[in-house]
Amino acid sequence: MPRRYCQDSPDAIASCVLEDMVLLYHRPSGQTHMVISPVPEILATLEEGAALTAGEVHVELTRLYDPGPAEEAVPQVEAHLAELTTLGLVRIA
Amino acid sequence: MSARLLVRALRDPDGVTALDARGWNDLIAMARAERLIGTLALRIEDRPVPEAVRPILSDARLEAEREARQALWEADRAAEALAGLDVPVVLLKGTAYAAAGLRAGQGRFIGDLDILVPREAIGQVEHALLRAGWEWVKDDPYDDAYYRQWMHELPPMIHAGRDRMIDVHHTVLPLTARQTPDAGAMIAEAVPITNELYMLSPEDRVCHAAAHLLADGDLAGGLRNLWDIHCLFDEVDADALKARAARHGLAAHVGQARRLAAALYGEGARLTVWDRIVAARLLARDGWGRERRKLLRFAFYLRSHWLRMPLAMLARHLFTKWRKGHRPA
Amino acid sequence: MKHALSLKIGPASFRIGSAWRQPVEALARLYADYPTPVDEVADFTVRLEPAGLFRRWFRPSIYITGDHGLADAAPMSLAHGLLAAEMGMNLQMALGWRRHLLLHASSVEKDGRALVMTGESGSGKSTLAAQLGERGWRLMGDEFALLDLATGAVFPFPRLVSLKNGAIDVLAAEASPARMGPLLAGTAKGDIRHLIPRSEAVGRMGEGALPALLLFPRFGHEADIRTVGQGEVFMRLTQASTNYVALGEPGFAALTPFVKNVPARAIDFPSGDDAVALVERLWEELA
Repeated sequence: MPRRYCQDSPDAIASCVLEDMVLLYHRPSGQTHMVISPVPEILATLEEGAALTAGEVHVELTRLYDPGPAEEAVPQVEAHLAELTTLGLVRIA
Repeated sequence: MSARLLVRALRDPDGVTALDARGWNDLIAMARAERLIGTLALRIEDRPVPEAVRPILSDARLEAEREARQALWEADRAAEALAGLDVPVVLLKGTAYAAAGLRAGQGRFIGDLDILVPREAIGQVEHALLRAGWEWVKDDPYDDAYYRQWMHELPPMIHAGRDRMIDVHHTVLPLTARQTPDAGAMIAEAVPITNELYMLSPEDRVCHAAAHLLADGDLAGGLRNLWDIHCLFDEVDADALKARAARHGLAAHVGQARRLAAALYGEGARLTVWDRIVAARLLARDGWGRERRKLLRFAFYLRSHWLRMPLAMLARHLFTKWRKGHRPA
Repeated sequence: MKHALSLKIGPASFRIGSAWRQPVEALARLYADYPTPVDEVADFTVRLEPAGLFRRWFRPSIYITGDHGLADAAPMSLAHGLLAAEMGMNLQMALGWRRHLLLHASSVEKDGRALVMTGESGSGKSTLAAQLGERGWRLMGDEFALLDLATGAVFPFPRLVSLKNGAIDVLAAEASPARMGPLLAGTAKGDIRHLIPRSEAVGRMGEGALPALLLFPRFGHEADIRTVGQGEVFMRLTQASTNYVALGEPGFAALTPFVKNVPARAIDFPSGDDAVALVERLWEELA
């Protein structure tokens, strides 16, 4: 059973887009994270409160840009989601 | 001069309106030194204070709020790390008060995360925390062995990424202490706060706080712990508390805690000679924020070691520490 | 405490207690033209205490502490008492100030706008700010720049400028001798002398200015100017801030517009005069 991920909570994150990266302020932890694509895009797919698998997130990403073939891209998305979960920005649904 | 100024202000905040500049400087320095400035700020609320004092108190309130947020996040992370284990994780002290929205948690500066788990689970808990990014703080094998064998907790751990410490307890007092509170019963009676986190029952909370203040440690920071106890008494059933304290062998400590809390923060109480000595140690702070009564504090420091171990072991322990260059304050 | 003094520097006031007269007297002399705190209630308490049982009299040794302290602070000799008091105040600000975002940076003001310079010890930010302060700019601070959480303006913390080693002679040549403090020789950072900011800088210590240029100076290299990316600026500024994390979201909300709106350059320079020239040029161009 593939894992489902969801956002930590609505309004958990304040973001600021800089020229070369995106800053995420995570309110519950008080931590600031510096991230680059595709992390902000991945988080955006979870914004409506959906609980998605890495594969489903990948599908959402393809609407915005071409993340590459699924066999390579989906494990990468999974890895990002796992790291975001360790940081507390994302939860396992 | 003693910390009576601070204690009076907490007991009866109306009195602060009469303070002059010097009085305020003394009060603020004492409150900061005793880590009670957040609590003081909340007690004072929006009573009229001099212009220069207002930002000091509002800074303190904001700081306490922020600390509470951090502490609750730390608890959340610990719960996540331990989620798979099916082990009750009981929050202790400040984090518990904040998590449950208790009066004792308001304005409080919270230190490390303290949790209580069943002794049988300690190995699993240790591994789960290490897997989730916590590391050991002390590298000293003597200290490590000492913690594991005699203390009531794992050696301290710190989370590398967040730079925050966690103390994992399996009993409430060191194994070598003279009282042996029933940790199993405390865990059994624990009340849920969230899906994964618990806290002690109202009566056990008081027992734990009283044990922590009076049966362990050297009373440093005791005015804050006593304020916690004063607030916690609001929530207990007196008979249930009596029974519980007896069960844990802590009747004397709970009784003393009640008298001291009433004498300093409440309606007053008749104090024994020993109560007065403890009170003197608690109040040993001056208007510059300095610790006073060196000899008295040293006596309590020695007592703190004596509480934790039989005399022969104490001698060996202090000798080892001295050899390594540790010296008491 | 036997000897005491109250001081106000920028928005912060200090109550300084000392077991010895000398540091308090030295401070009183050098800070003579600064205003006294409102109501005399101080934001912070600093204590200069004997660092051991007999160290008040025998090889006097100062342990620096106060509302905020560092447990492993190294004691200082009484000869360096003035420095100990300064470090005590710095410690309170660094650990306890919450009313602005605190940046470890120097800052100067011209035409109602602020130049902020940040870098490690030895980068030349303090010396450069002091020199600019003698050449038509208003010195706002050599050590801390205070960023207003609501407006984004930079506010002054014009303490005595701490000049080290080579910088002492450079500024002694430009500033009047009446504004130079005593020589503190052989400190952990070498020789130190303090410079009292000009009376205009002291008089206007309550006036902030919107930041118009951020520089990362590096003294002792061939002259060079480099643009710095916003991500790098953000990272370096959080490293340069003692209270960014402690402030929480207001810190994030104050720092992000600064990073987005204020042009940033890294400058290398072989000498103070070269630096001043680079600064004036970049100010013309970007501010």
